[in-house]
Amino acid sequence: MKSKVVPTIKLYDYLLVPIQIELDDNTVERLQMQILHEIHENDVRGIIIDVSMVDVIDSYISFVLSETAGMAKAMGCHTVLCGIQPQVALTLAQMGIRLKDIITARSLEDAIDILDELD
Amino acid sequence: MIEVNPQDYDIVLKIKDESDIAVSRQMAKNFAQKMNFSLADVTKIATAVSELARNIYRYAKEGYIYIRKKEAGPEKATTIEILACDRGPGIENVELAVSGGYTTSERSLGLGLAGIRRLMDSFHIESEVGKGTAVIVEKRRRAF
Amino acid sequence: MVNLADASGNADMKEKIKEPLKSLMNVVDSSALLKGFEFLNEKIEGFPFAEILKVVVEVLDESKKEKETRIRELGDILAELATPIIRIWQDILLVPLIGTLDSHRAQNMAEKLLEKTASTRAKIVIVDVTGVPMIDTIVGGFLIEMFNAIKLLGSDVILTGIKPEIAHTLVKLGVDFNMVIIKRDLESALKYAIGIAPEKSDRKHGRKRGDGDEE
Repeated sequence: MKSKVVPTIKLYDYLLVPIQIELDDNTVERLQMQILHEIHENDVRGIIIDVSMVDVIDSYISFVLSETAGMAKAMGCHTVLCGIQPQVALTLAQMGIRLKDIITARSLEDAIDILDELD
Repeated sequence: MIEVNPQDYDIVLKIKDESDIAVSRQMAKNFAQKMNFSLADVTKIATAVSELARNIYRYAKEGYIYIRKKEAGPEKATTIEILACDRGPGIENVELAVSGGYTTSERSLGLGLAGIRRLMDSFHIESEVGKGTAVIVEKRRRAF
Repeated sequence: MVNLADASGNADMKEKIKEPLKSLMNVVDSSALLKGFEFLNEKIEGFPFAEILKVVVEVLDESKKEKETRIRELGDILAELATPIIRIWQDILLVPLIGTLDSHRAQNMAEKLLEKTASTRAKIVIVDVTGVPMIDTIVGGFLIEMFNAIKLLGSDVILTGIKPEIAHTLVKLGVDFNMVIIKRDLESALKYAIGIAPEKSDRKHGRKRGDGDEE
């Protein structure tokens, strides 16, 4: 596999993806491929994407995130998003964007709790 | 189409590469922050600029985004004005493009524009097939 | 006598007369003031009636603007006071909405509530609309956006206090609050919220993982 866009952490059966870089269109598409490969290679049952460092999530980024979740779902894997900044949440809601196939969690701990219960 | 004099604007951004989308987003964010918008409004402005830049890149290949500070309305409210224009293919059915529904499941132009309209206080679009598109949006600064 | 040569001096006089005129207008009502000026105009030849009136208009204009600003400020303060965000229980926030919501107030409120929800990591936000006289499509739209934003933070919303006439208009207008849990009154909202809010969530993963996954 090519170089990783985001260094990930394997935690229990989950893949933790802390996004700490500016997400441009190209990065987010490469991240999608990276996540799918890691699910396949590492026997992952759940993905936790942490976006607490992301200042702007626009329609395309949220679309790719939802799309990734849909693909992960097809591979038997749930996707939880945590750490959305309040102003980003407001912006997404005002634009009318729904994060299809994604569960949102209040924190990393909450995300793990949610995935545990889903199993 | 709209006549633009770049000298009237505080920021002029050329959109040509994909990376210009992220750059314009960042520039808009910094400018709105300096204008003392609330953090939520800064994010909305940056997001709107991101959508506008992407539309330019994706449909027209290249174009410009102009940003300026002004005072608007009888109350002289501090306002940010953003103008995005290109000489791209233009939009055939402007009304349809602007009235996108509440979905994200399609990579359509509609959501971008409809989303921008919801985020901003005013929204104006002019488009002519074969000539290009210009979008002007504004957001006023609210008290505290 | 006022003539053009006096123009600069005139402007000076205008400024000078402004302040005393302002204080005068604070104690004397406008009709009495006008009578006074008319009287002076009759008695004194060359009394600069028109000039004085111009200053009066200016002063009135200024005080009107001041009042408008004050009213706006008071409105903001009222809106602020009318939207407390109370942490009533571990992981539970209560927001009693009182009065009418316009776009300005709704946005300020949404920003504050989202901030608070994120910083307290509340699991549940109870929004009580008992004190809201009416909800139209616009206000309904604001509420829906706010609720969706709270859900994006991973928190749940309980909506309570919808009066019969509001329920009536909501359904007629097609406003659908299907993203929230709706409870009859604050009491049942609280009971429900306390029921699902976890006790101080001690980390149980170590234990759970330890005996669960090795098999």
